[in-house]
This record gives sequence, structure tokens and C-alpha cells, in this order.
Amino acid sequence: MAEPIVAGVAESDLGETPDRNWLDNAGIATVRALEDADLTLEDVDGVAVGGGDDYMPALVLAEYLDLEEPSLLEGTEIGGSSFENFCGHVGDAMARGRADVVVIAYGSTSKTGPGRDRSLEVTHPVDGFVRPTGLFRPPGAYAMAARRHMHEYGTTEEQLAEIAVATREWASMNPKAAQREPITVEDVLESRQIAEPFNLLDCCLVSDGGGAVVLVSEEKARELGVPEIAVAGVASTSTHRQDISEMPDMTTTGAAVTGPKAFDEAGISPDDVDVAQLYDSFSYTALVTLEDLGFCEKGEGGEFVEGGTTAPGGELPMNTQGGGLSYCHPGHFGVFVLIEAARQLRGDYTGDRQVDGAEVAVAHGTGGVLSSSSTVVLRREDA
Amino acid sequence: MTGDADESASSATVEDRREEWKGPVPVPSGANTEFWAATLEGELLYQHCEECGTAQLYPRAVCTGCGAVDPPFERSEGVGSVYTYTVCHVPGEPGFGDRTPYVVAAVDLAEGPRLLALVDCAPDAIEVGDSLEVRFWQVSDEAAVPVFVPA
Repeated sequence: MAEPIVAGVAESDLGETPDRNWLDNAGIATVRALEDADLTLEDVDGVAVGGGDDYMPALVLAEYLDLEEPSLLEGTEIGGSSFENFCGHVGDAMARGRADVVVIAYGSTSKTGPGRDRSLEVTHPVDGFVRPTGLFRPPGAYAMAARRHMHEYGTTEEQLAEIAVATREWASMNPKAAQREPITVEDVLESRQIAEPFNLLDCCLVSDGGGAVVLVSEEKARELGVPEIAVAGVASTSTHRQDISEMPDMTTTGAAVTGPKAFDEAGISPDDVDVAQLYDSFSYTALVTLEDLGFCEKGEGGEFVEGGTTAPGGELPMNTQGGGLSYCHPGHFGVFVLIEAARQLRGDYTGDRQVDGAEVAVAHGTGGVLSSSSTVVLRREDA
Repeated sequence: MTGDADESASSATVEDRREEWKGPVPVPSGANTEFWAATLEGELLYQHCEECGTAQLYPRAVCTGCGAVDPPFERSEGVGSVYTYTVCHVPGEPGFGDRTPYVVAAVDLAEGPRLLALVDCAPDAIEVGDSLEVRFWQVSDEAAVPVFVPA
């Protein structure tokens, strides 16, 4: 089976980019990722764009970069998991010989840009039911799911906080991370209440920025001589879209479906995973994903994360760039989990920041309000 | 307070909040029209498919169970239980600033569908599993939003 190879990854500038629009950030991330792969814009056969503030994001990025006759144009919007989802579509296209170099790109100005056009939401039939409740979305919706998990399994606010603490520990080693000061469980519990049971430090950042991943065919990868970081397994699904009340079971996400499928395709089990990059829009997002991917039993996520399991030196290093909780979160975090997974497998870091001998990584994207799930298994083939 | 509790023993009270309501207002259209019209009478409707028995909310032009078009409405008893809830300390809509902290719950109606709704109670007066019953706050000439209270 032909597997796409991650040949290059990059971020645009992160944090606040008041002089850039989403497309600038996607464009900058793209050229930096191509440079990382030792490729140029001329080599690009196609683009896959998620979350761009345009209804034809792939066309607008292709035009912006002045691509010549791109053969793959992908813009399937499934929120923060779009980029993991693209990996499957790009792999299919490459297997059929339709492209050799495809850029997966994202850009946003979530922090300094104008408010997002909400017109699509206004016309959604569920809107008349949800908006008059005043639910603060997305935090309140995720908070409801977390509350249900606490009710069913006895998960505690302290356990949720452990995730934020471990993630911050990773962020302290990342110069690009927005928040690097170490925090404690008490700091999380004492931070401002947002939507119970979430406090401020249970919630992701709001950032400007973009990211890009260059996928190439195996043949192209050999030509380039890049480390062979292969997309060994991909799966996507959804459980609902707009309204958290439509989620069949708020304590089980689509990751329970996509994890086993992607692991099976890659021929691995959760035990084989050396490093996990799991979308953390909120502390609960990461906790429930750990369970659903099978890193622990259902309902035992709270116990699993106690004592620094996901922190540097822990049993399962997770969100090693500092995650959406501490590094950046420009709205669709899914591209950044792929970037960090690839960097860990390439061995880009030194010291405690590098997960020793990492050969298999899982990158998980979550979209909507726990609505979509896409799991990607990356494997270093020359290991 | 308006309301038709006198006309029908099983209708819920409809409180006129048109003047003080600053939040979003539902705009009846399509499959929602009948639902919102009924709220003005203190009735909570849901769709109950005659073909396959599926009960659903929000209203849709198709039955999610069997694909039947325009599944008919039935009247809910307006009682349910708290599947989960949150207490919003940050307002999610303009016009909700004076209301914080307020409770929003996912309510499992006795008939099956799950509905997101405001709960008119103190933040510490609610637990998962609690029984609730519906009231209505009329927020426009066209709609009254369902709001639940502890049963």
C-alpha cells in the first residue's frame, strides 16, 4: 500500500498577527513547510485547506500561491479534525498517481481578526433551540460533556486539571508556546470560572496563526531523501454537528471508532504508541480521547492522567509542544498535532523535549463540539 | 403572566418576558413553524414518526429513523430529567450578561428526545438525574422558549 510521507512541517508566526489575514498565515506556513521539505511552490500538485475563512478555501489558497494546474483541491470542512481527515484523501489520490506533493494548510486570525461570520449558524434549524439558552459555546458544550463523565465515572476536576498541568510542563520547553510558566492543580482550580466544571486553565488559548504539512508520495520521498515519516493509518467519523444535545453519548466520542480503525490499518495497538498528540480544546477533550483511543479503559481516564502520566518523562508523552491549552489554538488545532507528531518522530528536539526513540505517533483531531474525530498514525519507516 | 393553564390542565405556564428579554429570538420557519406556534400555548411538541416510531427534536422535514417526510408532531408531557448541565459564568450571547451565573441543561424528555434548555434554578440546586418540568418564557410575538424548573 502506498503511504504518504510527511516531508515537511511548519507554523506561521503564532500568537498575534494583526497585520496578517488567515490566508497570509496559511501561505506563510505553506512556504515554510515546503522549505522544510526542500521543495518549492513549483513542486506542489495540490492543496487541502481546512478552516479558512472563505467558502472555497482550497481555490483561494491555490490562487494566492499562484499554483499552476493543481490536480488535488480539498476543502472538506469537518472542523479541527479536517487536517487528519485530509491525510486519508491525499493518500488515496497519491495511490492513484494523481499527486506527488500536496500541502495541507491552515491559517486564522482568531485572536485579532474580526469576529467570525455566523450567518451559517443563524440559518441552521437547531439554532432557534440552542442560542436562546445562552450556552457559551464551545466551552459550555464541552463542559456539559465533562460533567456527564464526572457523573458516570467519578472523574474529578483535579484529574482534569492534571492534564493542563502536564501540558504546561511541555510548553515550558517550547519557545513558541504562548504560556510557559509552570502551573499546579490548585492554579487550575482557582482560575476564573468559565462554564462549570471548567475554569479558565481547562480551556484552550485563542491565537492567530497557521500551520502546514507537506505530504509526498513514497517515490518523491526517496528522491528527496527525507526521513520516512509515513501516514500508516487514517480514519474519520462524526457523531453530530451543531448541538451537543444531539451527541448520542457525551462520554464517548468518535475516537472510539476512528482509533481502532486507524491502529488496525497501521498494524499497531495503543501499546505501540510512543507519543500522542491529542486535540486539547479543553482538558476534557484530551481525557476522553485517551480513553476512546484505548490508552486506558473507558471511565479510567481521570485515574490514568494522575501523577504526570502525560508529562515529560511520563508513561505516555502527550501534547509535547504544549497543546492547545498552552502553545497556541487558532481555532482549528488539528494541523498542529500533525506537525508536532512528525517533529517528534524526526527527532527534531534535544533534552527532555524529545521523546526518546519515538517511532510511532498518534495525531488525533477533534472538530465541532466533540462532533468529528479523525485519527492518524504516523510511523518512522527507517527506524 | 399570560398563559392558558385554565383552558387546558396539562399546558405549561407561559410567562410574558417580551419586554425584558435581551437574548436571541427564535424565528419560526419550515419544519419549526408548528413547534414555535405551540409554545405560545404552553405546549412542548416533538416529532413522532407514525411509520417507525422515532421520536425527534429539533423538528426536521425528514424522520431520522426511516426517512418519512414531515413526521407529525405530538405533544410532550413536558417532563424530563437532567442528562447533564453546566453553569455559565461567561455569557454565551449578547443580552445574557446580567444573567450570569445561569444553568443550561441537556434535558432527556420522558418521550425520548434530548433538548438543550435554560433551567430556572440556583446554580447549586441542580444535579444530574434531577427531574424537571417545562415552563415557557414568551420572548417575541412568535415564540416562547422552553425553560425548565425542578419538578
